Order: sequence, then C-alpha cells, then structure tokens
Amino acid sequence: MPLPEFDYIRPKSVEELVSILAKHGSEAKLMAGGTDLLVLMRDRLVRPRYVVDIKGIGELQGLSWDEGRGLTIGAAVTLNEIIASEVIRERFGALWSAASELADPTVRNRATLVGNICNASPAADTAPALLVHNAEVEAVSAKGSRKIPIEDFFKGVKRTALGPDEFVKAVHLPNPPDGAKSWYLKWKRTWGEDLALVGVAGLVANSGKWIVRVALSSVAPTPVLVAEIQNAFEGGGTLEEKIEKAAASIPGGICPITDVRCNAEYRTHVAAILTKRVLRKLLGLG
Amino acid sequence: MKYSYMGKGVPRIDAFEKVTGTALYTGDLRFPGMLYTKLLKSPLGHARIVNIDTGEAEKLPGVRAVLIGKEAPYKFGIYMGDKTVLASGKVRHVGEPVAAVAADTEEIAERAVELIKVEYEELPGAFDVLKAMEDGAPLVHENMSEYRHAPFIYPKSGTNIANHFKLRKGDVERGFKEADVVIENEFYQPQVQNVQMETHTSIGQWLPNGQINIWTSAQSPFAVRHLLSVGLGVPLHKINVVVPYLGGGFGGKAGLHWEPLVVLLSKKAGGRPVRLVMTREEQFYTTAVRQGFYARIKTGAKRDGKITAGAFFYVWDAGAYADYGVNITRAAGYSCTGPYEIPHIKCDSLTVYTNHPYGTAYRGFGHPEFHFATERQMDLLARAIGMDPVEFRLKNAAVPGRITATGEKLREDAGRVDECIKAVVEAIGWGKKAPKEVNGKLRGKGIAALWKAPAMPSSTSSSAILKLNEDGSVTLSISSTEMGQGTPTGLAQMVADELQMPIEKVKVVTKRETDFSPYTWQTVASRGLFMEGNATLDAVRNLKEQVKTTAAELLGVPKKELEVAEERVFALGRPDKSIPLAKLATAGIFPDGRGIGGPVLGYGYYTAEGLTNLDPETGQGLPALMWTFGAQGAEVEVDPETGDVRVVKMASAFDIGRAINPLLLKGQVYGGIVQGIGSALMEEFIFDERGALLNKNLTDYKICRTQDIPEEMVFIPIENPQRNAPHGVRGIGEHPRISIEPAIANAIYDAAGIDLFEIPMNRERVWRALRKKGEKRAFA
Repeated sequence: MPLPEFDYIRPKSVEELVSILAKHGSEAKLMAGGTDLLVLMRDRLVRPRYVVDIKGIGELQGLSWDEGRGLTIGAAVTLNEIIASEVIRERFGALWSAASELADPTVRNRATLVGNICNASPAADTAPALLVHNAEVEAVSAKGSRKIPIEDFFKGVKRTALGPDEFVKAVHLPNPPDGAKSWYLKWKRTWGEDLALVGVAGLVANSGKWIVRVALSSVAPTPVLVAEIQNAFEGGGTLEEKIEKAAASIPGGICPITDVRCNAEYRTHVAAILTKRVLRKLLGLG
Repeated sequence: MKYSYMGKGVPRIDAFEKVTGTALYTGDLRFPGMLYTKLLKSPLGHARIVNIDTGEAEKLPGVRAVLIGKEAPYKFGIYMGDKTVLASGKVRHVGEPVAAVAADTEEIAERAVELIKVEYEELPGAFDVLKAMEDGAPLVHENMSEYRHAPFIYPKSGTNIANHFKLRKGDVERGFKEADVVIENEFYQPQVQNVQMETHTSIGQWLPNGQINIWTSAQSPFAVRHLLSVGLGVPLHKINVVVPYLGGGFGGKAGLHWEPLVVLLSKKAGGRPVRLVMTREEQFYTTAVRQGFYARIKTGAKRDGKITAGAFFYVWDAGAYADYGVNITRAAGYSCTGPYEIPHIKCDSLTVYTNHPYGTAYRGFGHPEFHFATERQMDLLARAIGMDPVEFRLKNAAVPGRITATGEKLREDAGRVDECIKAVVEAIGWGKKAPKEVNGKLRGKGIAALWKAPAMPSSTSSSAILKLNEDGSVTLSISSTEMGQGTPTGLAQMVADELQMPIEKVKVVTKRETDFSPYTWQTVASRGLFMEGNATLDAVRNLKEQVKTTAAELLGVPKKELEVAEERVFALGRPDKSIPLAKLATAGIFPDGRGIGGPVLGYGYYTAEGLTNLDPETGQGLPALMWTFGAQGAEVEVDPETGDVRVVKMASAFDIGRAINPLLLKGQVYGGIVQGIGSALMEEFIFDERGALLNKNLTDYKICRTQDIPEEMVFIPIENPQRNAPHGVRGIGEHPRISIEPAIANAIYDAAGIDLFEIPMNRERVWRALRKKGEKRAFA
C-alpha cells in the first residue's frame, strides 16, 4: 500500500533540525529508523506534511560512556548498536536485554532507542529499562535545551512531554549504584517476535542498603515505575519473603486494560510473575 | 540400471531460480499500459447498500475505471453460485469490497477510493455460527434457493444452511446401547488464515475482440478458466489463464478469487491490463480464509476397548459465501470417524453462512479441524474406560479389511495406520518413564492418528505432455502448479528413471498456460504426485511407443525387442541395432534420405478409478481414491505459572506408499508441523460484536516464528505401496498439518492434567484452565 504524499527533508546538523522544527512544528514528523512512523503513515494514522530524517546528523549518532558522566545515547543510535556495546551489556543489563527483546534483528537494524520512547507506546520495551536506570532525556528546541527525567517524559498513550518544536537529542543514563544489576523480562504471545503483553525491568543493588527498582510496560497508559517495590525490601524477612511482598504490591501499582492481545487479568497475573522472576534472577536465586 | 533417482533426495529442480530471485511470480509481471486496482471495503458486517456515489472518484485524473456491484451482476462459486465480485444490494462481511478503482498508479487508485461515498443501512447480523442456525436468525442469503449449485450439495432454503451432509451407517442408537461407556463433548476451532507469503495477485485483460487474458496466483488454472467462463458466460476458448510460480497456496488460492474483478475492470477501462495485489490486511478480511468449526461428538465403547457407536455433529462457519466450504463439510462428513472402524455411525455436517469473512480450502480441507475433535475424543474415551490411548487406537484402527464410515472395505494395499501409530510411539518414547517436571515446567506426551483422502469429483483427471527435443532431451508439460510442494522435481525423477537418462536432460515447464498446457482438474487435495505422476508415466509410455515404432522400421528389429535407455533406442545384446533418441525427435531418416515418423510428443493421462457418488441420505459410497494414513506425537513443556506451552519434540509417521524424494518429503512434513503449531498455539480470528476483525495483521495475528519451532522434529516414512499409484506413492501435502492440535492437546493433558476443547491453546487460555483446575483442587 502506498504512503500518502509528504516532503522528505534530511538535515545535516542539529541547528538545521532546530530551524526546520521551529518553522514546521506539528506539521513535521521526525524519522529515525522509521519502523513506527512509516507503519502509522501507511495505515493513515498520521499524515505529516514533512518527514524529517535525522539519520544524516552526525551529532546524533554518538554512543559514549565514562566513569563520571555515565552513558549517553544519541537519537540516531540503533538498537543493534546498543546490543553491540560491551559497556551497556555489563553495566546496563536491563537496557541491553530490552533492546535484545525488541522486535527482531532486521527491525533492530533500523529502530532506535530514542524513536522507541518518542513513539510513547505503553508497550515500549526500552522504557522500563530507562525508568529503573533513572535516565534523563535531553530535549532541544530553538529556545534551548532542557533535561527531562524519564519519569516525567511519558504523558499518556502516544503522548510525551515534548513540545511540537522540540526533539530528543540524546538519552543519558547515570552510572548505576555500585554492584547494581539490572535486567528486563518480556512476556509475549509467542517465543517469536511480538509486542509485550507485559514487560518488567528490575534493578537491584546492595552496598549496605537495598536499592530495588521495578518498572513495567504494557500495564498502564504509560510505562510505570512501581515505587512500593523499594518498601518491600526495607523491612525484615528472608529474600524470598521480600520478593513475595514486592510481587504482591504489583497489582496496586498498575492498571492494565483488556485488548485483542490479552485480558487485563492475565496481564496483572503475569506482571507479578515476571517481577518475581526478574528479582530472583538479579538476586541470584536461580 | 545406470540412472536411479527414485527414493533419492534430489535437490529441487527450481532451487537455483528461486534462491537467486529470478523465478517469476505474478506480482513480478508488468505490461504496457497496466493499471492498478484499489478496493473500497465495507466497514459493516451486514448492511443494505442504499447509495454509492462514485462521481468524485471518476473525476480524479488518472482514474480509468470505477466499478460497483450493480455493474457486475455475475454470480460465481465453485459449488454454489452465491458470490458477486463486488457487494451488490448488501454487504455480508466487514472487508467485503463494495467498489473497485483501476488507475494509472496505485496512489491515484488509493486516493480515488477515499473519494467514493457509500450510504449503508445496517442490518442485524449473524455473527455466531450456532445462533445463525436458529429459526429467525438474520439470513445472509435471502435468495439462496435461486442459486445454482453442485448436485452433491444440499442447501436448506429459508435458512443459513448452505449444505447438510448426512451419513447413516448401522443403527447408532443400538450401538450406544451396546456400549459400556458413552461420552459426549464439544470442540471449537476459530477461523484462521492460510497466510501465504505471496498475497492474492491477479492481472486481467478483456480485449475488445472478446479475448480474455489472465495472469494470476491461482493454484488451478483450468478451474479459473472454467469458473470464469460459467460466471461471465464467455466461451472457454476465449479465455487464456497463465499461472507462473506461486508464493504459497495452502488451499487459499484454489478455485476462483479476484480474476473476474480485474477482467471486468479491464473491460471498463477499454482493454488495458489491470492488476490487483491484495494487501496483507485484505488477505485477512477481504479474501478467503479458513472456516470456523464447532463439533459435538458422542462416542460409545465397550470396556474391552471396542468402539460401538459414534454420533458426529459438525458445524462449519462458512462466513459470507460458500466457496469450498460446502465441499469441506462433505469431505469431513464422509471421513468423520478419523482412521477407525465404527460399526454404527450418524454424522451431520453442516455449512452455515455467517457475516464473517468467507471460508475456503486450507491445507487439510477440514481435517485439521475435525481431527482435533475426534482425536481428543479418542483420548477422553480411552481414559473413561481405563485403557491406554495407544492401545485403544490400535484396537479400533482402520486397517486393511476393515470397513470405513462410507462402507468401503479397505484394500490390502490401503496403507497402515497401525504401523504409523507404532512408529510414533517408538519415536516419542510413549509409555517410557520420564521426569514429569523439568526446571519447574511440566512435561507430557500426546499422540493422535489421522487419515485423509483427496476430495475430488469421481471422474477427476490429469494429463501430461512429454516432448522429445532435437538433442535427445525431453520437456514435460503438466498443469499442476508449483507453490513450494516440489511436484515438478518428483516428476522429473520419474521421467529420468523411466527413460534412463540424466535428470539434467529433463525439463519441467514452469509456466502453466491453459491455451497450451495439458488439462488437469486442480492442484489441491494432495493429488499432484499421484495424479500427475500417473499421467506422466503414461506420457513416457506413449513417447517410448512412438520412438520404438520409428526405430523398429529404421533398425529392422521387431518393436517388442527394443528398449529405451541412455538416450538411445536399441535391441538388447545387439550393439549394431541402436539409434540415438536425438535422431528420432523430429522424424527418423532412412539411409537414402527418406523420412519416417514425425515430431515425438508423448501424451498421457490418468482418470480416477472406482469412485462413486455418495447416497444423499446415508452418505454410503466410494469417495476415496487413496487414503493416506498417519500419526503424530508431541512432547510438550507447560509452564504452570503462565500457561506457556512449548513443543519440545514432534514426531510424525505417514504411510506414503513410497518415498520418491525423501528430501522434499521432509520439507513438506516439517512445514506442516510448523504451520500446525501456529494454529494450535496462537492463530485465531478475533472479532468484535459487530463482526469487525480486530487482528487483521501480523502484529496481532501471530504465526510461528523460528523461535517457536520444536527443538526436535522426527519423520518416519512408512512405505506400503498403493497399487494404482505411480511407484506406489500416496499424497502427503496436507497430512503433516492435520493432527498437530490434538497431539499437543493430549500432551498438555498428560503434562498438566487439563483438558482443552478450544483452539488456539494460547498462553492465556491454558493459564485459565490451569487456574480452574487449581480452584477445583482447593475446594475439593
């Protein structure tokens, strides 16, 4: 099926991109991999007058890490580049595993992390990973640049905190606490490619005090961080008991819907199961 | 013998062109002046069309034809003439085309479609197959009694029932009285899609002189020509149908589909070729799909394991048009028992119209659907009488000498379901001690048997032409299409063996073209290798006869002393009496220059033998040219927390008579298993309450991906040759896909103790069943 008509613009610098957005605003749609946008356009769900391809902008293609500033991922960095990064695999396990679970290898060759969060699907695989890692989104417009904590970035189904003239230049992940481990588990209808029925990212660290964070996708209008998880680890009891308590707090922290993919009831059940599984994995309980 | 290809894993003869992308499919073809089609589809499940305004669309530059149903009143249908190419008067399902535009580009056609305005008056719909059978249900076809239909179809006028197949054998009530145990269960399978890689694609041209040319992704070129001729009232010789390679058919491209639409658009556009390629979404809800299925089965058995009676009530959700559905209803009806002898049988198999997308053939022709019911029932009944399900099956197995549901006594060469069952038992280690729990997952094994015969007219036929070329090579023409199954390779092996020449010297024509190619009924029903094989062997005999006749004159040797091998005709033991085939291809030549004979063109045919019509009241008769028997076994792992079912191993055995090409055979078997697992665990049409399909895409209609394929697949060929078959072969195209669902369902019971009656056995459904069982235990 053909795409509706549009003008294709491929800026070469961030400045150029800023002025294009200042001029066209909501009539323009940014395209990185295009794996979400082109499908929406084909189905006539969005009809932008301008498609602005950001892959020609060198500044957006960087993936960097250092001990001080942590991890920075540019808007044009693909998921396969993330998967290939040793640092991400070792220190940001949730992001690495989420990227590895998103769609399939051919899609990941084009799809980007920033595209995944800007699409703002409740099912975005990388969002829970960014939530447990306290990521920050660097947004740029003609008015300047600002940092948006990832918890404030998602505003609803397919809605973000970005203004019409604003774009995401990069995502920053601070270095996790000492000894931290993180991982993402995704539940689908099949072992093959699928959107998440439920996705759960967990992060666990303990250097004297427990730091435990769990975030989920596909169980609310936006990806959510369940704050009560931390409380479950603050009282006494064995690790097993803490995990049970954490899982018990999941239904109160989410509000899944019933749709063509599955029932809300099943999502709630699986969210608790995956929470247990990801925590057990991170705590080395097999 | 120098050349021996029978039983060898010869690589596909079309592998090179398919792998390199040079093989042509309908969608690759372009013609000068060709137009592109887009469809306007109904958003409603059942509605009267009040008005269609195409004015704006027609004004759009580049639009060459806009067609609506009123302009195309022709009725089509292979068994029931119930379908127009565009909805006329009313729409009968969401996604049904209401108008079509042919334009210079796809973009223009798309824009024009958006400019067409349709006014509907919504009608109450028939969205549930069982409710659609009730008195007073909204009628999908008010004028069904006026439709032309095949003589073996029994519609009930004034209802939604398009066919009622009846089978009565023995005295079923007496049979139930003789039983020690009687059980009754209901089973359900949803509508699914064939999901061919290549969507339906057709190019049509209706020239001003009356000639109609069609290039199409159809399984059966001669059926397209015939049905188009009948529907449009055009003489056959004015229609030429060309079929290149198909990118998968699985039954969904049998018969006639969108060919009449592109032809009528072409006529309106002054004879320009018009192309239509279905989108993936249209493949789900505009074009044909597999019927939904409901079964209620009552079976009785004695404590010693002998089944005494079976009552089979099958209801088929045909959707809006009958298409192949009415014949699937019949084929499933006469095979209703599965591969077992049951003395007393009653079967009612009904095709019911609903306001769903319309059903058609799908690999297995109803057999995957009803075998899920019958093979689950076999396990449930075995359990009820306290017998091992394998022993129970063997006790009742339809082995040679036993009587089928239609009263056929199985011949000695009919194939052995018992050997298939035993082979699968061995392969999956049935009854052997194995851990019930591995890493928190529950393990179990299940087994299911099967049978299927081709559903064909009693006089179905095939033909073949074998041309001898001037260099001694041969060219085989057949009209059975190639859609992945590999029949041309098998036939090339047969020709090379029979003529004792290298297979490299045998060409099988890839294009099928009704103006030139020999007739065949259809490429369906797992009939290709059997029917075309017989026709090809007949053509080889005919070619040999021709070359021997000429050679006998030239060599001065009686014809009966001559042999053909290694590209020569010769007399055994007399090296001086020999002539190359190449020297006979156009004509023989005497030493003085005189010619003899002529161009050699072997012709052969095969017509089904010994089939009869079935009695309309009792269903008794001989419907089966051959039965292919089989058995399939699954080993599964069930996650008790989430309901996930993983098929760890799948073993299959089929009595294929003779393996012509074990390599391609494996391909068929593995492909069937993968397709079956998709349907067993994830595939299903999900509708809203007004008949809109909610998952008409591959995002939400899941099919098997590489990760879902079992770690281990085992295929055991059983080879008891069939008497009237080429080299003893039986059809195998559909069978590997038939008993996957029941094998897995039976294994799930073994693993987790839950009984499933509904397909697909997806994670959520299995989890619900596990939870229900858990609750029962908690309250017990």
